[in-house]
Amino acid sequence: MPDYAPVDLSRADVVEFELNGRAVTAPAGTMLVDACAAHGVEVPIFCYEPRLGDPLGACRMCLVRVEGLLGLTTACSTPVAEEMIVDTVSDEVKDAQDGILELLLENHPLDCPVCDKGGECPLQDLTFRFGPGQSRMIEPKRHFPKPLELSSQIALDRERCISCYRCVRFSQDVSEDGDLTMSERGGRSEITTFTGEAYEGRFTGNVIDLCPVGALTSIPYRFVSRPWDVQNTPSVCASCSVGCNTELTVREGEIKRVQGREEPNWEVEEGWICDVGRWGYGADRAPQRLRQPILRDGDDIRDCSLEEAVAAAGLLLARQPRTSVLLGGDATVEEAFIARELAAGPLPNGQTGTAGVAGAALGPLRALPGAQLGDIDGADLIVVVGGDPANQHPVVELRLRKARRSGIRMLVAGPRAHEIESLGEGTRTPPGRLAAGLAAAVEAIAEAERPIVIWDELDLDAEPDAAAVLADALSQAPSGRQVELPAEVNGAGIRALGIAPYSSLLGREALGGVLAVRADPGAGPGAEAWDRALESAGPVIAIASHHNTLTERATVVVPCSSHYEHEGVLVTVGQRAQRLRPGAAGPQHSAPGWEILIALAHRLGVAPEYRSARSAFAAAAAGTPALAGLDYESLGELGAPIAAPPATDVNGAGAPRGFQGEGLPLVTGRAAFGGAVSHLAEGLASVASGEEAVLHPAEAARLGVGDAGDVSLSSPNGACTLRLRLDESAPQGVVFAIRGVPGGGVEGLLAPDSAPVKVTVGPA
Amino acid sequence: MPQLNSVYRHREADRVLTSVDTYRLSGGYLALEKALEEMTPDELLYAFHRSGLRGRGGAGFPMGRKASFLPKDAQLAKYLVCNADESEPGTFKDREIMELNPHQLIEGMVLAGYAIGAERGYIYIRGEYEYQAQVLDAAIASARESGYLGNGIAGSSVGFDLTLYRGAGAYICGEETGLLESLEGKRGQPRLKPPFPAVKGLWASPTLLNNVETLAAIPPIVEHGPDWYASMGTEKSPGTKVFSVSGHVREPGNYEVVLADTTLRELIFDMAGGLRAGRRFKACWVGGSSVPVLAEQHLDTALDYESLEEAGTFLGSGGCIVMDDSGCIVRASLRLASFYRHESCGKCTPCREGTGWMENVLQRMVDGEGRVEDLELMEALFGRIGGKCLCALADGAVAPISSAIRLFRNDFVRVINDGSPPPQPMEPRLPMSGGRSNA
Repeated sequence: MPDYAPVDLSRADVVEFELNGRAVTAPAGTMLVDACAAHGVEVPIFCYEPRLGDPLGACRMCLVRVEGLLGLTTACSTPVAEEMIVDTVSDEVKDAQDGILELLLENHPLDCPVCDKGGECPLQDLTFRFGPGQSRMIEPKRHFPKPLELSSQIALDRERCISCYRCVRFSQDVSEDGDLTMSERGGRSEITTFTGEAYEGRFTGNVIDLCPVGALTSIPYRFVSRPWDVQNTPSVCASCSVGCNTELTVREGEIKRVQGREEPNWEVEEGWICDVGRWGYGADRAPQRLRQPILRDGDDIRDCSLEEAVAAAGLLLARQPRTSVLLGGDATVEEAFIARELAAGPLPNGQTGTAGVAGAALGPLRALPGAQLGDIDGADLIVVVGGDPANQHPVVELRLRKARRSGIRMLVAGPRAHEIESLGEGTRTPPGRLAAGLAAAVEAIAEAERPIVIWDELDLDAEPDAAAVLADALSQAPSGRQVELPAEVNGAGIRALGIAPYSSLLGREALGGVLAVRADPGAGPGAEAWDRALESAGPVIAIASHHNTLTERATVVVPCSSHYEHEGVLVTVGQRAQRLRPGAAGPQHSAPGWEILIALAHRLGVAPEYRSARSAFAAAAAGTPALAGLDYESLGELGAPIAAPPATDVNGAGAPRGFQGEGLPLVTGRAAFGGAVSHLAEGLASVASGEEAVLHPAEAARLGVGDAGDVSLSSPNGACTLRLRLDESAPQGVVFAIRGVPGGGVEGLLAPDSAPVKVTVGPA
Repeated sequence: MPQLNSVYRHREADRVLTSVDTYRLSGGYLALEKALEEMTPDELLYAFHRSGLRGRGGAGFPMGRKASFLPKDAQLAKYLVCNADESEPGTFKDREIMELNPHQLIEGMVLAGYAIGAERGYIYIRGEYEYQAQVLDAAIASARESGYLGNGIAGSSVGFDLTLYRGAGAYICGEETGLLESLEGKRGQPRLKPPFPAVKGLWASPTLLNNVETLAAIPPIVEHGPDWYASMGTEKSPGTKVFSVSGHVREPGNYEVVLADTTLRELIFDMAGGLRAGRRFKACWVGGSSVPVLAEQHLDTALDYESLEEAGTFLGSGGCIVMDDSGCIVRASLRLASFYRHESCGKCTPCREGTGWMENVLQRMVDGEGRVEDLELMEALFGRIGGKCLCALADGAVAPISSAIRLFRNDFVRVINDGSPPPQPMEPRLPMSGGRSNA
């Protein structure tokens, strides 16, 4: 966790003050603890956490002497002022630090040898540097039964708690669920949930990172490792397109833990990560993980080596009259680049496509100046169009809540009920009518000085007229900026390579031989159409990390690394190119996708110049304007935005799209814990949620499904059966369904290009 | 200038004044009518200032100055909050006012509200004051009915209304910011200051907080003029103060004295009837339990802010707890330590952990397990707890115990050397202030 807030000492509005006899400067209003840290003076802290809002001043660890003030004062809550004279090292201050630690340790069990936090514990570290060598207390310590389950993922050891309130403040002031609280008082204070039920939410695990002692520990990581037996690797979460910066804790080649980075990426996640990103690593250990290359001949399945699999793939593909390369939306830039090069070169009549939507009308929006999530703090207006940030791009929710707390005006418009809607001035629009619902936003953008528009790729692809309205409004705001919420993890990176959606490969000619990299079109929009296309396709080569509908039918299955196991670049929210770094080794018979693809190139008779992910990225960057000048070094640990695409001519692309089919317009969305990762990872088993359809009770009654447990939905593209939930707050005249759930079937209702669709709803 | 026996009408009239009519008959609400007709809010504020009235809750901060800290041009609504969470051990002066003379408090609050431009006031009353809450509730209703609360008070265009809010039994909610948190429906814990309540108080709006006794002193100040009030006592300690005398005295109860005119000896031995026969004065906590204890040599100290400070203690809330030589200072210290351990809210480390540790050490002494080095340990603890916290609770926990060890060190040494002190016979006798009992 970042202990202190970053301080910009180069700012013009600095004040000069005296720190331990030294004349120093810091921007006016900087908290003393942060100013001291910026000048290399450590003032110890426990409760202070700059990301938790106003200082609390409870632990009293940061007492310092400020001349002119009575007694010692807490440096966490005292802003620097001109000519302030500060002392942090006198005997008086040292005695106070020693005293606070003596009191904190009075009831602390000191069970460090069996505590998960031991070795990476601020209480240990600060005791070592600032605290007493021994306790003068001879009475028995306070005892509580060990530990409670705050949730199925978080253990609470009340004896170890030092009542810093960080977790409570996170729950109340950051995620704003208000779930955690302190009960009892004084020495009997204990952390609990307000309701007494388990602490559940999308961001609960952050309290583990925040806890400065071993009071809150991760149950999946409990007793798994000592800090000196692990290696921590900075990487990026690939659970969604936000690209939160994470730290992978690795022991013996396995991911044991994922946590927020100690030095957060202030432009992206600020150190917060969602629970899917934290515990999703367990999906790599699920039985669905591919561990064995196979060759399939009808019902005959034969295990083989990686080399045999790649050799077979080369032989099979080279013999096809044409080949289609299908890329999953989370394929790395390197994988997409090498695959595209294969299609353009040695593969016969190769064509490349990726998951996702065409976004024909989104060009003008994307060409407008982009913002990073970190820029939201400095906006004076935020417009959220479409999407469901809380569920689909979770950490964005925390940014938006923070913006609302700081009083930034927020307008929300879209077809979906979601948590962010109530944070701002919300306008719920019927499907197809988003453009009309943007009137207030357009007006506000014109009046704002620093507006930022956060827009959802899928929703604006479905409503091109709204995209045009928005692009037009924003292009007239001189300092207006935009942030896209992409549907695919690396959608922006793959698009930068000039690769179009693979839905366009359907229907014209047969696919020929198929080389799929992390792709599973059978689980996405247009599942039935893909089923037919794959039925008549040539051999399918599936490079994948997990079993999916494609590996079930592929002639050759080549297990590849998961995103915890390989190098690569993802271009995430804010068009930010960020590096994955391998933590785990991965199954023995697997290899990074880039390596498999390079081996395949050799099998196909070409020898690419690049032999590593690093050089593959360099080659991709050299030939791609948007990536020009980027390499692994320049991306470093925090990544960098890629260049905005040039404005495209979209004459006519702003026309509204009609609906396919009859019945009610279908609005789909993802649930935070509804995706494949949540259903695969053991640590998320208790929160994983299933597919469902949501109707207003009156609408349900009208359709004759008022008391049906399940309903059947059908569209021109397909049909599925879903559990029905009735919700008074849902709008009438529309049916809402959760997509992205493995085996959920909602994708089958959609067209391959995700065109707007109407469905008929009836009893199952 | 009038010579009154008391600033409080029920004492002056020697009767119960719970109805609007009886209160009016004794001259009540005239000050309010006069002020609304003749005085601007600023003139009223100046009168508070000139009277020298100091906060009677314990800190003794000049009331007029506190009121002047509220921003004049604030866009936000302003609030007046009466601290009726009278939880300081040995203190029951506010209870008497609320029970016997609630309208004087209401009148004082309307005046203070008018002066600061607040249209809404709250009385935060401790949960245990159930009967007093009933009296106040009825008084507020009848004041509203009689046009002294609500819109257009006493025919003027001024509006002010009151809400009574009952606490839930936490000492910390008598601390002003803890009170505000509790009033907002949150866990009662002190806030970091600054911002002070005058700038960011209730609902983050400018708020004036005063004690019952302070606010109830306003009507006579308006009626007889601030100079009349200031003419009593000394420049730094003007006016009168009600002392609640309890413990080993024959006539426990509330006694109002003109500040600086009376000594501690006179309060205990003349007004409160002195000690029981054959007993000798041992110790006294004069300003509630959170102040340093006094011993026999301090008996001739005058009762005013300056003199008591000179004697090493504080006037505090005026809750004067007397102990004769049948009491054991070590046991008394343990009792107080237990109280503060129990009431510590747990927010600040030194208070949360330190009050428990102090209690543990004293308990060990009383159990006959004391060590000579424990006194040194206690003294080290005082320095590690006192002056290190957000609010004054921890300082209040340290003060009576550290002073006890300083003044009565031999008693502690004896208990440590001889083992457990003799069991202390107690004759529970609740000091009643008239009206009806709390039973």
